[in-house]
Amino acid sequence: MSDITLYHWEPNANSGKPMLALMEKGVAFESHYLDLLNFDQHRPEYLAINPQGTIPAMTHGDLMLVESTAIMEYVNEAFDGPELMPADARDRWRVRWWMKFMDQWLAPSFSMFGWKFFVGPNALKAHGREKIEAQIAQIPLPERQLAWKKAVFGLFSEEEMAESGRRIDVGIKLLEAELAKREWLASDQYSLADVNGFNLAYAMPLSQPHLANDEVTPNIMRWLRAIYRRPATRACWKLGRTPMASRVEILEQDYIPPRDESEGIASGVR
Amino acid sequence: MATILYHGEPNGPSLAVLAALGESGLDIECRRIDLLAGERHRLPGLHAPLARDMGVEGEGPVLVIDGEAMTESVFIAQYLDETGAGTLQPKEAHAHWQMLMWCRRVTERCAPAAAFLGCKASAQPVLAAMDADTFAALAGQIVADDLRSRWTAVRAGDFPAGPTEDSQTKVYDTAQMVEDQLADGREWLMGPLTIADFETYGWLAGMVELLPDAFAGKPHTAAWLARVTARPSVQAALAKASAGDPSRQWAPGPEINRWG
Repeated sequence: MSDITLYHWEPNANSGKPMLALMEKGVAFESHYLDLLNFDQHRPEYLAINPQGTIPAMTHGDLMLVESTAIMEYVNEAFDGPELMPADARDRWRVRWWMKFMDQWLAPSFSMFGWKFFVGPNALKAHGREKIEAQIAQIPLPERQLAWKKAVFGLFSEEEMAESGRRIDVGIKLLEAELAKREWLASDQYSLADVNGFNLAYAMPLSQPHLANDEVTPNIMRWLRAIYRRPATRACWKLGRTPMASRVEILEQDYIPPRDESEGIASGVR
Repeated sequence: MATILYHGEPNGPSLAVLAALGESGLDIECRRIDLLAGERHRLPGLHAPLARDMGVEGEGPVLVIDGEAMTESVFIAQYLDETGAGTLQPKEAHAHWQMLMWCRRVTERCAPAAAFLGCKASAQPVLAAMDADTFAALAGQIVADDLRSRWTAVRAGDFPAGPTEDSQTKVYDTAQMVEDQLADGREWLMGPLTIADFETYGWLAGMVELLPDAFAGKPHTAAWLARVTARPSVQAALAKASAGDPSRQWAPGPEINRWG
């Protein structure tokens, strides 16, 4: 039995990052699935492990670690297995830069669209407004309460949505330009930046079909398919329990043509 | 390999990187630029400007190596440490995670708050005094729309009460976090001196004058600030100030979290 337990939701975004990093390293771990939309992360038994009530978290023996990107760096440093950071210091800088850019600038915009059009409405449908409001009131950090209200009830202004849409457009173009320079995102070696980026971008051909496809972003599509082919990625996404994770199967298509923006919204996975 | 560190006045992220450079033992050419004159957006010889243009940190230092712009003060400091003396990061994985988490709390919560308050106090009058054509030309050179909007807000004096109070709270919280961390008598934030000391000091040092209440009754924090100030690498960094007190020199920084 492993002395490592990962508390995670779907292989997607923040949860998927340490899941995939552990699998790439070949590190055995206990998988503890928490249903984010059932607010499992705010139940007393989980708060006893991670008082912040955030997902993901990882325990390693007596240690408890939070924050997906920082956990990935810990996993890479603490365990044997394939090296997921380049040997060259400037390449490592580039890995870190891209992870911060994605975590703090690009991912929140994807997240805003995801919650507005897909996750929030589904959560309300499944659990009802009253139950969700009561669960949000139990969240320890006030700022997290605010973020959850905005997310579940779609309380984003037109300006916020427009800015998120702009950033998604800009961010996809920047990713495409960078991936035109080299095989992987931040260096000539598969790294944590690719693990991070795949979790952010794997469903883009579905959710942003007008921006990410084989005609407009051939390098992004090459990159996504290359990561999808990796055994660790296949194993990781098998841990998904909802249609969110099965979106990754779009990458089995050899050619994805451009489609209208409205089809991304209509697909219910934006 | 042509390497130049472009930095602003020794405050905020520029101070953190200059101090890390001093500790690294590396001999890298440093060039001070006038951030509020927009010089960061007119650096010569960049063939890979992405990190300068789109960096989350805003008007932080830029390390240019062979035409590639490298930004984000913590990551530049890590680069300098890893190519230099290698003394500023814990070698053990969990201790390293703790340092990274600390730096992340500072860069995500304290840095936007300090930059907001610092710009309100010192950058706003400078930009407001700039004639319209000069400012328009400067703003036109800023690639990122969101960074340009922060410049425009500073010039216009657009500092709403909500973000102002939130920023003050975040500076208070960071000062308390420092005080709590040092309560066991340790000399530096992580035990040994690390990048976390310089990154935290860079953002907090200028807040002592602006928000004295945040630092009142915090003897460990006061002693730590004095220790960092006395560090030869920090003294060398502060000596690069062009004029006046560098802790009063601010330029638009990271944005306040859009998710609240």
